[in-house]
Amino acid sequence: MTPAAWVALFAPAAAVVMIALAGHRITGRAAGVIASGATLVSFVATVVTFALLLRRHEEERSDASTLFTWLSAGDFRVGFEIVVDPLSVFMMLVVSGVGFLILSYAVGYMATDDEERRYHAYKALFVFSMLLLVQAGNLLLLLAGWGMVGLSSYLLINFWHRRRSAVGAGKKAFIMNAVGDATFALALFILIQQTGALSFAPVFGRAELMSDTLATLVALGLLGGAVAKSAQVPLHTWLPDAMEGPTPVSALIHAATMVTAGVYLIARTAPLFELAPEVHDLAAVLGGVTIVLAGLIALVQTDIKRVIAYSTMSQIGYMFVGAGLGAYGAGLFHLMTHAFFKALLFMAAGIVIHALAGEQDIRRMGGLGRELPWTYRFMLVGAFALAAVPPFAGFFSKDAILASAANSGTLGWILWGLAAVGAFLTALYTFRMLFVVFGRDVSAYAREHLHRERFEGPLAMVWPVAILAVLSLVGGFLQVPGLWHAVDHWIEPVAESIEEASGGTAVFSAVAALALALAGIALAWMLYRRPTYGPERARRAAPWAARTLEQKFFFDEAYDLALYEPASHTASGLYRFVEAPLVLASLGDIGATVRGAGRRLAAVQTGVVRSYALAVAVGLAVLAIAFVIAS
Amino acid sequence: MLTTALIVLPFAGALIVWALPWQTVRAAGGFALLVALAELFLWVVAVRNTDFASGVLQHDVETVWFADLDAAYKVGLYDFSLWLVGLTALVTVTAIAYGMWVGRARPRAYFGLLLFLAGATVGVFTAQDLLLFYVFFEAMLIPLYVLIGVWGGTRRHAATVKFVIYTLAGSLLMLVAIISLGLERGTFDMTRLGESGSTWIFLGFVVAFAVKAPIWPFHGWLPDAYREAPAEVSALLSGVVSKTAAYGLLRIVLPAFPDPVVDLRWLVLGAAAIGLVYASLLAFRAPDVRGVIAYSSLAQMCLIVIGLMAVNNSGLEGALLQMVNHGLISAALFLLAGAIERRTAGARLELLGGMARGRPRLATLLITVGVIALAVPLSTAFAAEFLILNGIFERGWGWALVGAGAIVLAAMYMLRLISGVLHEEVGPAVHAHALDLRPVEVAVVGALTVTLVALSFWPAAITDHAFADRPERAIETQFARGAR
Repeated sequence: MTPAAWVALFAPAAAVVMIALAGHRITGRAAGVIASGATLVSFVATVVTFALLLRRHEEERSDASTLFTWLSAGDFRVGFEIVVDPLSVFMMLVVSGVGFLILSYAVGYMATDDEERRYHAYKALFVFSMLLLVQAGNLLLLLAGWGMVGLSSYLLINFWHRRRSAVGAGKKAFIMNAVGDATFALALFILIQQTGALSFAPVFGRAELMSDTLATLVALGLLGGAVAKSAQVPLHTWLPDAMEGPTPVSALIHAATMVTAGVYLIARTAPLFELAPEVHDLAAVLGGVTIVLAGLIALVQTDIKRVIAYSTMSQIGYMFVGAGLGAYGAGLFHLMTHAFFKALLFMAAGIVIHALAGEQDIRRMGGLGRELPWTYRFMLVGAFALAAVPPFAGFFSKDAILASAANSGTLGWILWGLAAVGAFLTALYTFRMLFVVFGRDVSAYAREHLHRERFEGPLAMVWPVAILAVLSLVGGFLQVPGLWHAVDHWIEPVAESIEEASGGTAVFSAVAALALALAGIALAWMLYRRPTYGPERARRAAPWAARTLEQKFFFDEAYDLALYEPASHTASGLYRFVEAPLVLASLGDIGATVRGAGRRLAAVQTGVVRSYALAVAVGLAVLAIAFVIAS
Repeated sequence: MLTTALIVLPFAGALIVWALPWQTVRAAGGFALLVALAELFLWVVAVRNTDFASGVLQHDVETVWFADLDAAYKVGLYDFSLWLVGLTALVTVTAIAYGMWVGRARPRAYFGLLLFLAGATVGVFTAQDLLLFYVFFEAMLIPLYVLIGVWGGTRRHAATVKFVIYTLAGSLLMLVAIISLGLERGTFDMTRLGESGSTWIFLGFVVAFAVKAPIWPFHGWLPDAYREAPAEVSALLSGVVSKTAAYGLLRIVLPAFPDPVVDLRWLVLGAAAIGLVYASLLAFRAPDVRGVIAYSSLAQMCLIVIGLMAVNNSGLEGALLQMVNHGLISAALFLLAGAIERRTAGARLELLGGMARGRPRLATLLITVGVIALAVPLSTAFAAEFLILNGIFERGWGWALVGAGAIVLAAMYMLRLISGVLHEEVGPAVHAHALDLRPVEVAVVGALTVTLVALSFWPAAITDHAFADRPERAIETQFARGAR
């Protein structure tokens, strides 16, 4: 079982090495095939692992394997160690499966870029890093994968590195994630001190002996990492900017896999979060706030990818609500369906962008439904799934989270409320985008720039989208609230989920959320099906609200003001007032002093023997007196 | 014998290079390169013949020098010194190869001095007698003065004067400390020193090493020296020579002054912690490529000292690993800086940019070394910094918090450097037809980078083979015996 898991882990790493060593000897297309082929190998190996795990008895579905000692200090030893259990295999299936589809799509999408090889190598590096993250058998290796996905993300965001905005976005993503990595590492220091280990089993076993304060600090540190990686409030501002990367990157990293790592972390370290209930709740609350905040901002975005990016933040908010309330199964289920439909949306948007020669502004699109009918249908599937309309996948997974919230007391109901508002907003901004891009009349820009290939896009780009559309349609039936709970059940050995509401409450929860979603779609239909004055009138009625939304609640400005500016000023101040005058100038002055003293001393050399004799005599006298006094 | 051979080979090589009848770079540099490679080979032999489980002094030689003072020519290798000797050998090879590629003027003198420097550095890492240690420590300075003063940049004289005054002051202080310690203990044999409780001698050593490392606030010589020296000399200076100071703390100060170390930990840690943040901030605003590397080097030395002053397993292993890492990183970065300077009109970051386009080798190497330098998780620098901060965390949460904050700052200044050179529009100082790295440059920087990547895959190669089992215990027993 574990050999297959090792194969799954190292296949993409081998692809990176191959592409790097081959250099210009292979074509860009070949590099893409190597990268996606390696990911397919990972997927097949994962399926084998999954099948082997499935055959085992429920209680024996966990296996660890250590290759060698990675790092050591005295008794503290950390192995290069993977764990194969239901949770890691679940994540491996999502990562390698969706990853394979997206990497295949990227072969078509990047075919015209002259640095295609570098791109495919980075993508394979990402898949390796992400698999390392989900397969790691101890927290240090998990943190290693955690940082490596951040690195791959940085490299891919500023892939088009001549664009100033892309470079800035890459740095921002990396630095925000570095903050999360730092709090993550601090949590690990406490765990090492308290439990002497970093492998999951001993840490969870001994963590119960920690004091409440320490348990809270550990959970806070982990949550800091999770919030940064998953772009939740308040460490979310990097994700929309990350859309500077090529579209398949957005699909793979910034929607389907990496950004959901925070949810995985909470599920994986569930025993630690359960020791700190306040922090566990805090995770859910941050998720709830993010749902609404991101949903509101998405209403006014005009870049097609940014709309989807904000919806990603919002959807991960749902997962945080689930995982934070202890409904791990529901959270992970939504993670999976979201990976399907969000990758689908991004890749369909990629076909649109491709067809419009790189244009991303939805105000210049319009009427594309007639020109790109299949893309329209794919996008429609994704939109229904995102807006949680049955029988599309998003409905079931979102409903599972809502039903779990409805069963979690007062806090649960508050979060349910936020999630329900979010359902309305989601439907509204999703269908706004859909109607503006595909409905209406064909825009002037589209008429001029639209170019179509045989299948609306290269074949390599179309078939992965089609598969994802199918998955978005049927993937939801894996778990149907009230009927069967395949995901909950599967991951139960790792993290046991709370009961969800049943009976009347469950029906109310589902119907209310569906009604709100349909209301959102209806409102979008009224406002955006054709150009109306509605949005403009709303903007004029409350200009401050529009401005707040367009400025994304001023988070960027606040960070600049509170952190970046002070650091920058401190640095300049230190140079001007400490380093330059005190440290650097110190010896410049000494040199001058020595020279000056030399010149003055030179004046003593008069050549007159009498004055020398006098000096010697005076000196001797002073010395003699000094000795006498001293003795 | 092996240890003596490791010391003598570069010195002998230097003498032969100086005596060579040919004045060409190819002859003098080529011969020096052969000697450096032979040194590296000798180091591999030493690794193969070292018993890493014992933790005691190996390959040692002792010849009485002044019986009255109990001073002797005594050299030998501990497991941890072996790694630093290897670092010296490798960086020397790359520095000489790079110097040949650049084609320095007066090659016999130049390459002879590089070898001389290597010999003295290996001597510092292997000397087991305080006076001998001092002799080698001083011997390192002579070639450095000349290398910076003669082959340096336009402001080399000011840089040299500063460097000389700082290091001389530090050295004299160390001489006083060594004599006092030797007289107090009745021996100069480092393996039989015993423990001293003298705060003043302790401070003498600490300040002397703080000047050499350097540690804030004794770094006044650093920005100028690192900027003005030839690139490969900066690589040696920041990569290898600075490690002698950290080594001195580890080999002499920690075992010989257990009480002062505990009493004055706050003082040393305080300086190092302030220096870490201070240097990281200055690296963030440094206007030029070498400025960023220089201040990041200062920050890294402060971090290493923090790990050492934790005096526990985690901190010590981390500090040693980071000494090797930083040696490789810093050398690679300075050689890259040299390569960049040769392709541009001045290395001010605001005038650079866009060099990645069409120069994949430069971009790949700079990004790889850069992200390892900022300690991206899974890199060997991450492993080391994790151990260092974990070690100091056990001594107090606050120190680890400062350290964690500084790692975020490290990401900021390193990414600024990478993007400033490689990304966005092509800067006005970049020659449009500047070539990508040539094969020699790729080989030289690549060798360092490959070593770093290999270490990232297996950092335990060093942490498992440095102090037998428990570094804490090794310090307590003054490296007298293994942990078991």
